[in-house]
Amino acid sequence: MTATTIPTLKTDRLILRAPTQADFAPFAEFYASERSHFVGGPLSAELSWRMLAMEVGHWSLTGYGRWIVEEAETGAAVGLVGLFNPHGWPEPEIGWDLFTGFEGKGYATEAALAARAYAYDILGWDTAISLVKDGNDASAAVALRMGAKADGDYTHERHGHMFIYRHPAASELADGGMEAYA
Amino acid sequence: MLTLTFPTLMTERLVLRGPEASDFAAVACFFADETRSSGFGGPLDRTEAWRWFASMIGHWALHGYGFWMADSKDGQTVGMVGIWYPEGWPEPELGWVMFENGEGSGYSFEAAEAIRMHAYKTLGFKTLSSNIFPGNIRSVALAERLGAVHERDYENVTHGTEMVYRHPAPVEMLP
Repeated sequence: MTATTIPTLKTDRLILRAPTQADFAPFAEFYASERSHFVGGPLSAELSWRMLAMEVGHWSLTGYGRWIVEEAETGAAVGLVGLFNPHGWPEPEIGWDLFTGFEGKGYATEAALAARAYAYDILGWDTAISLVKDGNDASAAVALRMGAKADGDYTHERHGHMFIYRHPAASELADGGMEAYA
Repeated sequence: MLTLTFPTLMTERLVLRGPEASDFAAVACFFADETRSSGFGGPLDRTEAWRWFASMIGHWALHGYGFWMADSKDGQTVGMVGIWYPEGWPEPELGWVMFENGEGSGYSFEAAEAIRMHAYKTLGFKTLSSNIFPGNIRSVALAERLGAVHERDYENVTHGTEMVYRHPAPVEMLP
């Protein structure tokens, strides 16, 4: 059978790596908080665990997925960022969730640029979107900072109305993207 | 880098192997069948079944064990059997479910016995239980055939009241 491998990526300040059981505590804390209402929360601890497990299995089923983002200096898990395309999703998405206390440092942008470079350079994607719920201004700002542009909207049966941001195509990012914005 | 691997277990008539993307059709078909999946968190539509299946695979990464796919010797996938311990469960559970093409052949027993032995010998489990809905006569019969006894009832965090069947401990089974 084909083994599933979740690679580790490094940026200036961050390490993007596979989720582990040790990430459950900060993950569940984020999903228990009101801050998660833009991304399908709040969730009970039981549902948070299944969601974390789902994030790992996503890699097996699609060949890509989201990473736990770790602050290189402290080792703290600061969020979940990467490539998301579960069954029923409109198209492959670059998504970012920052755990409580790690906002405002540019971590989402830094990690999402690494994820986009991986999608374009390693996986060969031509395009990517990001979905942002109404009112999630911080997330919209990340999309804009990455050069993404508003491209209509989408209503998910459970998550509701979201704005679509379309990232610059791979061909528009001369060197794959990451360095262009670093 | 993390590489997800699954040990393959062989029994007389089954190959127990890790889940793969190509199994999704069979899993979705199982969860679409309310009668068959109602004791297993179903029914689920395809989108929910996909997320369930992804979490079933991720369970392996988070705990180091999980549910295997059971293939019969003629290459048909006949069910899912393994050890299940999501958040909120009182302890790891030995569980089984057969797809329509796997019923009535004693496959659940064969797979559950092999996985229980793997849990005791290789994973170092000291005990195992199986949670069964009151009224699931076939599962009770299987648990009893495996030597498990009804220990107590408990409130499952998602499923409601379930009966806990306790399996014989390793010391009772291993030479």
